[in-house]
Amino acid sequence: MSSTTGQVIRCKAAVAWEAGRPLVIEEVEVAPPQKMEVRLKILFTSLCHTDLYFWEAKAQNSVFPRILGHEAAGIVESVGEGVTELAPGDHVLPVFTGECKQCAHCKSEESNMCTLLRINTERGVMLNDEQSRFSINGKPIYHFVGTSTFSEYTVVHVGCLAKINPLAPLDKVCILSCGISTGLGATLNVAKPTKGSSVAVFGLGAVGLAAAEGARLAGASRIIGVDLNSSRFEEAKKFGVSEFVNPKDYNKPVQEVIAEMTDGGVDRSVECTGNINAMISAFECVHDGWGVAVLVGVPHKDAVFKTHPMNVLNERTLKGTFFGNYKPRSDLPSVVEMYMNKELQLEKFITHEVPFAEINKAFDLMLKGEGLRCIIRMD
Amino acid sequence: MSNTAGLVIPCKAAVSWEAGKPLVIQQVEVAPPQAMEVRVKIKYTSLCHTDLYFWEAKGQTPLFPRIFGHEAAGIIESVGEGVSDLQVGDHVLPVFTGECGDCAHCKSQESNMCDLLRINTDRGVMLSDGKSRFSINGNPINHFLGTSTFSEYTVVHSGCLAKVNPLAPLDKICILSCGVSTGLGATLNVAKPKKGSSVAIFGLGAVGLAAAEGARIAGASRIIGIDLSPKRFDEAKKFGVTEFVNPKEHDRPVQQVIAEMTNGGVDRSVECTGNVNVMVSAFECVHDGWGVAVLVGVPNKDAVFMTKPINLLNERTLKGTFFGNYKPRTDLPSVVDMYMNKKLELDKFITHRLSFSEINKAFEYMVKGEGLRCIISMED
Repeated sequence: MSSTTGQVIRCKAAVAWEAGRPLVIEEVEVAPPQKMEVRLKILFTSLCHTDLYFWEAKAQNSVFPRILGHEAAGIVESVGEGVTELAPGDHVLPVFTGECKQCAHCKSEESNMCTLLRINTERGVMLNDEQSRFSINGKPIYHFVGTSTFSEYTVVHVGCLAKINPLAPLDKVCILSCGISTGLGATLNVAKPTKGSSVAVFGLGAVGLAAAEGARLAGASRIIGVDLNSSRFEEAKKFGVSEFVNPKDYNKPVQEVIAEMTDGGVDRSVECTGNINAMISAFECVHDGWGVAVLVGVPHKDAVFKTHPMNVLNERTLKGTFFGNYKPRSDLPSVVEMYMNKELQLEKFITHEVPFAEINKAFDLMLKGEGLRCIIRMD
Repeated sequence: MSNTAGLVIPCKAAVSWEAGKPLVIQQVEVAPPQAMEVRVKIKYTSLCHTDLYFWEAKGQTPLFPRIFGHEAAGIIESVGEGVSDLQVGDHVLPVFTGECGDCAHCKSQESNMCDLLRINTDRGVMLSDGKSRFSINGNPINHFLGTSTFSEYTVVHSGCLAKVNPLAPLDKICILSCGVSTGLGATLNVAKPKKGSSVAIFGLGAVGLAAAEGARIAGASRIIGIDLSPKRFDEAKKFGVTEFVNPKEHDRPVQQVIAEMTNGGVDRSVECTGNVNVMVSAFECVHDGWGVAVLVGVPNKDAVFMTKPINLLNERTLKGTFFGNYKPRTDLPSVVDMYMNKKLELDKFITHRLSFSEINKAFEYMVKGEGLRCIISMED
């Protein structure tokens, strides 16, 4: 690998030329990493709903042509000036949000919203020189959330890479670089259910099931899954979900249904749909006196969260989380260890696998609502 | 005192016959305590805004005649059947919310919202038999919040009494049985600011100043007081408030003003006005990533709390509290100890003193917005 150090690498990438059009596998040129950057070879990547959302680009100013992808695992090919903590050959997870370790957020015990490297969905260039490292015939192809993992090689800021155990199978742990950690951390780091407690999870997609997995690991005695799609219930049992509520089956608000099932409300709830009404239900369904609701799913721009203040004064807590409150560099390696210790199960999230050339199949599956995670093999 | 045990006690009480009309000091008869009840001789009581609100009875179904009062300190005169953990002569603080010790809330480490004895503003009788212990010529007078401390003697459920250090001066610690503990606990138990952190307090009345006192005790480096009335600012300095913001002086939302003063937002905020717009400001002025906002003030029935979800997803926490999250029997004694250890200062909350016969002056002061706490001494 070191023979390519300092040189432009020609490789394959799946380029999105236009919103909603199938990606095209093209030969791109990947420039070497600049200061504080790292070039890595992506071995496995997976599709996450956020890629789909920005590929469809329905509501926002779209940036095209672009290389999407932000859930992946790879190996460092070369490092730029000033990078001391990573070396060629290191196994890494690129993350769409970073950790500079210097700002107030990084220094805070709680926050993971790094001032410098926080998620930026509009930026399509690198911070250092505001240029892209990808080009085709000299024309730039834009980055996506600083990762752009739908490419055999990519360039990422060093603060956005988690160095992990080289024994961890990259085709499994790649899914930890976004969705699974988001849901898992929402439960383990933020909701923090105590052993024997009750937890309601709203939305049984990959993020919600990861939240349920977190509740299972924490020893929750009841994990109630809430989803409009009853066909998701069977799969959810593998993740510890013990009871199911489909709001469509009732003519009263789902928070009332849950309160009746749980003697006044659940101990913890985790909201993974992004639907504003589900967010309000998730808050109002927790028990007064001690209940905590955690919001994960991101809603549309005009959404407004509303509740009667009494619901708050009656000692309910409302929290929101971002990437499961995990600091990417500091915390992700230990999440990988949870998998290596066989505490955390990842295989059950992986329902499909395709080679890179068939990456558009992953989009089709997600659009149809089929499966949880589809692994894309770069070889 | 024990020679009155089991007997009806005739004594003075300040009876409220009609909404908004001055209380009348007159003789009432106080029946002995029944099972799980305690009869208490009130030594000192103070007026809290909640008494005023239900005395004015503007928004709710009025319940008159009634004996108000819920912030007080007294000595046990006699106990009813089944009461084993309290005895004659104990110094106690009656509390408007109780702790039965058995329900899920009492057993929870966090909650203080006892299922059995939780605050009930509609009830004017005792739980055990649905009747009042107060009467005048055989006609019942309604209780208030299970305390009714504007009376020389009152009867209270044993779960609503905190037994305190007998050396603690009752004329000071009486204010701990409601407002001051509410504010103090909102900060110390719920917001929990770290040493050196920044705290914003909305509303600089007694509850807000108690919240500021909590921030001072916790070692906050900046305590920003927000109030529409600038004349409150001077007094607030005694409670640790270091900076002041009057929303009326700014043409942009106060949460923006605070965010600019604090590099993105305060670490903690405590909302003590009950105004729903202020609640939203109190939430939105805390820093993303780690900020926590605690709501204390109670709004009107139709209020709606609204915010953009991104404010939550950016890792702000919203909490609400009731009576500072203190469990009355379990926790209040240690708050009294904080005062006895000179960690907590109470004297600065007391701005007026009256004798029982002058109790209506306390209402006048509060209606005019004068002072913080007025101590009413039951004995001349």
